[in-house]
Amino acid sequence: MLIRNGRIHDGKGKIFSADIRIKDGKIEKIAEKLKQNKNEEVIDAKGLEVFPGFIQTLSSWGINGSMTEIRPSSQDNDELSDPITPQLDVKYAFNGRAATVQQLGAFGLTTIGVTPTDNNLFGGTMAVFEVDGLNPFEMCLKDQVGMKASVRNSLKNAYGRRNVAPLSKMWIFEQFAEQLRKASEYKVEKGKDRDMKMEALQKVVKKKLPLFVSVDTKQDALHVLEILKPYKIKPVICNGFEIGKDDTWLVDKKIPLVVRSNSMTADKTAMKLDLKGIAALAEKGLTVALSGVDSSWQIREDVLWLGICMMRIMKDETKVLPMMTSNPAKLLSVDDLTGSIEEGKRADIVLWDQNPLESYQAKIMKTFMGGKVIYKEGDELRCM
Amino acid sequence: MYVIKNGTVYTMKDDRPIKADILVNDEGKIEKIAPSIKADKAELIDASGKVVIPGFVDAHSHIGGVFEDELDDLNECTNPVTPEMDAYYGITPDDEQFKIAVKNGITTSCLIPGSGNVIGGWGIVLKSDKGTIDERLLKHPVCLKAATGINPKGVYSRAHQLPMTRMGIAFLLRDYFRKVREYKEKKEKAKKDPKKMPPYDLGLEHGIPVLEKKIPLKVHTYMHDMVTVVEIAKEFDINVTIDHAQGASDYYDVLKDRHVKGVIFGPISSGLFPGEGGKIDFECCKGLDDRGITVTVMTDGPVTPENLLVTEVGEAVRKGMDPVRALAMITRNSAKILMVDDRVGTLEKGKDADILIFDALPSLDVRANLLLTMINGKVVYRKDEV
Repeated sequence: MLIRNGRIHDGKGKIFSADIRIKDGKIEKIAEKLKQNKNEEVIDAKGLEVFPGFIQTLSSWGINGSMTEIRPSSQDNDELSDPITPQLDVKYAFNGRAATVQQLGAFGLTTIGVTPTDNNLFGGTMAVFEVDGLNPFEMCLKDQVGMKASVRNSLKNAYGRRNVAPLSKMWIFEQFAEQLRKASEYKVEKGKDRDMKMEALQKVVKKKLPLFVSVDTKQDALHVLEILKPYKIKPVICNGFEIGKDDTWLVDKKIPLVVRSNSMTADKTAMKLDLKGIAALAEKGLTVALSGVDSSWQIREDVLWLGICMMRIMKDETKVLPMMTSNPAKLLSVDDLTGSIEEGKRADIVLWDQNPLESYQAKIMKTFMGGKVIYKEGDELRCM
Repeated sequence: MYVIKNGTVYTMKDDRPIKADILVNDEGKIEKIAPSIKADKAELIDASGKVVIPGFVDAHSHIGGVFEDELDDLNECTNPVTPEMDAYYGITPDDEQFKIAVKNGITTSCLIPGSGNVIGGWGIVLKSDKGTIDERLLKHPVCLKAATGINPKGVYSRAHQLPMTRMGIAFLLRDYFRKVREYKEKKEKAKKDPKKMPPYDLGLEHGIPVLEKKIPLKVHTYMHDMVTVVEIAKEFDINVTIDHAQGASDYYDVLKDRHVKGVIFGPISSGLFPGEGGKIDFECCKGLDDRGITVTVMTDGPVTPENLLVTEVGEAVRKGMDPVRALAMITRNSAKILMVDDRVGTLEKGKDADILIFDALPSLDVRANLLLTMINGKVVYRKDEV
């Protein structure tokens, strides 16, 4: 298939006009004036804006539970029997149909990071999925892309209310340090069963698995960095609602930041989200990924809306679009697969009639996920 | 006294912009809107190349009253029918959220009890500037808040208390208005015979202005519950507003009923949920507007942060609504639904000088920045570079 004459926004800061050849779900060639092959389908994208599909770094799309099932039950990424569950893999929580019904392609998303919730200190490993399909394992672009940790107050709400640890941040940070220390010293002992928790965490300590840590405040982030120092682990900091322009230590230490939207929350800490400050840090070189919330209440526009809010501040699409595409891909270790419009990448491409980072009138004409059309203009939005 | 010069002014009285100056007097009212106003004594605000519009009116919000994991001052969920409650007493006026509102152009908010109770109490309309509640109060009461569906069901199901079902909710709503009607009739009879005066009942007193159509019943409503609400409105001949209103596009004909004073849609999106969260149809903003039904969007603050009100308007534009008609939702339409359109919602002589200056049309250009917010003729926010 050939997409001709579109204005390409590559997701890495470049904007240019060119043709794109898609073959076997991938971008085979990008060049000016590609010749049509025999029997090749041609899409005339003249006047259209060709964007990479957006990537939501942290999400709970495709997760079933009490909000979506026939009986009250736990959300499948929220194993609240134990705050320390690094041995769990979110891949087994993902339901393809539950993700597909949300029609995320109609909102410009083609790829989602799916993660255990913020309610466990170590929640388990994260995975990256396509947004449309049935078989979760076929939809999985990559599993084991990160270990999800959280030092947020949400742990206290989840456990402390039952009078089970953690009731305090003291426990949270003490155990954060202690579990990593134990993992660093862990060896399989003869005659003893393996400790799957320690084996999972050892991958983090040995830097074979990126560590994503959800924090509430700047001080949380500083504690996390201090605890990780002996292991020379650079975490991905998620949230950090008080982080602002003066926090250049993030830039200096080259620590990336995943910005959760503060939509759909009455959380006072989340209200402190300082996009202006984060924009100032991004100007200084901070790697930023704009993500949605990953609670059971999620918003399909989150990534786009955060991009819009960032555009109000930065007014420079070449800086904002990477936060919605190539940066998330990099943090999720799928940058070899997607997140930008480049030869060899998956054809995760959205054709907009106008630039969505400029005008609210911008509409999606077609969304391709791995070269397959998953949404086109005029498609009715699904109901549940 | 201020004069705002050379702006592109969307008065929102109609949908066309004009090139005009605005003179704001010392009483905080709009004195004059005309080309080339000469006012030597007035402080000049240069709006050349800028867009001047009325302050935003958020028609459904809980800011200053509801916080997650903190004491909630707008949900008295000890009894599903608490009409005697009053949001007037539940708002912390100097809360940070009002400052955020000002920075995002929200100059007026309708603040109401939450949706945990079937009948939650009175709501108020408050300006976002500094000062006490009384200094900022625009209307009290503005509505009696009610809620249908999963929210009250969820609260009282946990307690195994009526209403655990939609049957229970409809019963409680109808039973309350039956009681108010009887109470009101008794009070009227007592005008001739004081001995017949019923014992004073604050909760029923709060329902009388609803029966008299002085204020509407403001109902948290999703999907098919809106049919129930309109039926009850007809039964008691009361006015209602349909708040949240997801699924409104299924019921345009029902919503055309004269008892429906407006549809307050939103917060504009979430993922899909089974049941009442199963349809999200922001195209209904245009659909309702096209059919002459007064429609607006809300933040439901602090559920959706104040900076997203204008983004919600933008999503209605993405669904085909004209950008100026869409902007009218959170100015003219909100003010009309809240019956405060004599004071706010449009820029006209004699109205409150609640004025915003943007660098581009905020319902069209995602990059538009708010440069200045004026409330009651006072500049309460200026973006640094202005």
